[in-house]
Amino acid sequence: MNHGKYRLIIPFLAPALLLYAVFVLYPYASAVKNSFYQWRGVSANKTYIGLDNYRRLWDDDNFRIALSHNAQLLIVLPLVTISLAMLFAALFVQGGRGVRGADFYRVVFFFPQVMSVVIVGVLWQYIYHPNSGILNSGLRAIGLASFAKPWLGSAQYALWAVAAVVIWQSVGFYMVLFVAGMQSIPWDFYEAARLDGASRFAQFKDITLPLLWENIRVAIIYIAIAALDLFTIVAVMTEGKPNRASDVVARFMYEQAFTNSMFGYASAIGVVLLILTFCLAILLLILSRRERLEF
Amino acid sequence: MSDKVVTQLVDEAVRRHYTRRDIVRRGAALGLSAPAIGMALNAARPLPAFAQDASNPLGVDPAAGLEVVIFDGGFGNEYAVNVNTMYNALYPDAEITYTATIRLGPQFQPRFVAGNPPDVMDNSGAENLPIATLVAEGQLADLADLLAAPAYDTEGSSFIDTLVPGSQETGVFSGAQNVLLYAMTVYGIWYDQTWFAEQGYTYPTTWADMMSLCEDIKAQGIAPWTYQGQYPQYMRLLFDQMVPKQGGLEALVALDNLEDGAWLSEPVVAAASALRQLYDNGYILEGTEALSHTDSQAAWLQGQAAFIPCGTWLENEMSDLIPEDFVMVVNPSPSLEGDVVPFEGVGAWAGENFHVSEQGKNVQGGKEWLRLLFSKEGARFFSENTKAPTVVVGAADGLDLGVPFQSAADAIANAGDYTFASRYADWYPQLSTDSRDQFGRMMTGQASVEEALQAIQETADAVKADDSIPKYTREI
Repeated sequence: MNHGKYRLIIPFLAPALLLYAVFVLYPYASAVKNSFYQWRGVSANKTYIGLDNYRRLWDDDNFRIALSHNAQLLIVLPLVTISLAMLFAALFVQGGRGVRGADFYRVVFFFPQVMSVVIVGVLWQYIYHPNSGILNSGLRAIGLASFAKPWLGSAQYALWAVAAVVIWQSVGFYMVLFVAGMQSIPWDFYEAARLDGASRFAQFKDITLPLLWENIRVAIIYIAIAALDLFTIVAVMTEGKPNRASDVVARFMYEQAFTNSMFGYASAIGVVLLILTFCLAILLLILSRRERLEF
Repeated sequence: MSDKVVTQLVDEAVRRHYTRRDIVRRGAALGLSAPAIGMALNAARPLPAFAQDASNPLGVDPAAGLEVVIFDGGFGNEYAVNVNTMYNALYPDAEITYTATIRLGPQFQPRFVAGNPPDVMDNSGAENLPIATLVAEGQLADLADLLAAPAYDTEGSSFIDTLVPGSQETGVFSGAQNVLLYAMTVYGIWYDQTWFAEQGYTYPTTWADMMSLCEDIKAQGIAPWTYQGQYPQYMRLLFDQMVPKQGGLEALVALDNLEDGAWLSEPVVAAASALRQLYDNGYILEGTEALSHTDSQAAWLQGQAAFIPCGTWLENEMSDLIPEDFVMVVNPSPSLEGDVVPFEGVGAWAGENFHVSEQGKNVQGGKEWLRLLFSKEGARFFSENTKAPTVVVGAADGLDLGVPFQSAADAIANAGDYTFASRYADWYPQLSTDSRDQFGRMMTGQASVEEALQAIQETADAVKADDSIPKYTREI
């Protein structure tokens, strides 16, 4: 009986495993290997240099700048994204009562999620355009000209202008995640709470939040991992400019490889990023562990 | 005894696909004499056996296939298709594999790593393969025999003699001509001739005049200047001609050769300080720092700013947006006080990097393709097709290519020997990135001239001290 089961499972799994091995595991392994070499990436010529790439990384101020941006985003992105997503989800479905037009808003908020990151990045470049962009034009039109800034050209605002786009794009996804979670909470809990005179906020705090914890936990881990990457949006919108003010580690790694021809060094950065992401995921899993509530 | 070593070296070279350069290096390391290395070279990588005669001076195998890769950028690629046709007219049996793309790096890097690169490439554009790195890894063929070969359609001249003198200097790496450059570029300050005539303005030849003209323009409510804000290297490229005009070519060469303290020298400070006045006096269009290159150029075409620094690709790049009565002309940077070079000195160099792969299957065919591209016939087609001048002397004679083309041609003619091009940004990408960023800070008031130059000097020092980065030098 079992024998027959494996005969069925293996042909189904094998192609996926093979693809995973070839396109994920093998590149990881070769990146680890390359990180111990000096390699310029345009010939097969490699020189073994031990831990030199890692030493260079330790002393590299530009790497630290990029890493510190990831660290700031690691705190801000989950906090803001999850808060907004929770707020919208609660407004739309909590306890089976949504605000007027909730279905329409759900589609509107989810929409950015179905667009490619590159398109989102280019679109927002127009929105942030210093003179003709809708943001600055709008601010000027309502008499707030002093708030109009050269967003992506400014060392002060560029990183946060990009972060705002990331939040704008991802809120919809987590809203849907939370909506699904909230819809699985039995409505009679809320009904009972309402009979006891609990406010909408109290219902949220004492019923929704604890029962939604598993979803929130997933969201935190997803967003935290995403905050350590952000290559695409930064590469499209600012390339880390001006003067590295919006740089992140993944884009810095790309620069080392494809601009500076330091593929060994870039591999070392990739390995460090992999280790950081891995540790972070485990840490968050442990920290966010709570007793599972059955309902 | 040395015979045995030669045999070993030949074996090793064949087995490990050594380039001719590798063989020389390895042979020297093994202590072989020059004739012995020559023997190994001939045995491991024989030169083409095809008869070299007047019609085939490079000894091309007429039946060998040829792979051509072209950067499909501002100049398009019709001119290259034309050269393919010329090649097949000479060698009807040669099958040409042809690719025109804007993404050279991602597409062709693996081919170089695998030792199977295309034969001839126009390696240009934002995503090109880093040329200094290709040179350092011995991937590019030495084009000495092509330079000495007879020109394709200029009777009695060698190939190199048909090109603008000095135009190929930027293709020389440590004495070897690894790269040939094709399109002549003038870099300077642009304005609209029509508007200037209306206003009764003339182009200022000194920086002091530039400042007072800027004051007049500003008083009209128009920004005197803008630049490609997201890419502050456009200001740095202007600085690259102001430095040698102030301090002589040696001041620029000192930057290229990573000399100690070069970025803090007097001519460098003078040039950077002059540019910084544009910010200090409020002459730069508001929001410039957030504009892309095309955004800023469009703003300039719309008359929002009077001056912009750029190269002669500007007309092609913006061709869709040029208003009908807008007549753009290019000029050298105005003279600073104490300049040692006359006002006419200008930034000029040849662009579009063509090279032949050392490990290509048809090295001589690649050189022959370049001989046709750099012929009068090939170059005339290019200029007609793109309205841009080439390095081939006289190829565009009699063609009417418009006012911007003429202003660039005049600028080169007036400059005589005083044309300047820097090398440091091509040789050292770290220095390119950092000088770009520091010029951005300097032009937006986030760093003083001294702070910005100090920061670039530190990067230059770090590059100099880094043994993993291959170094190049140039002579005056």
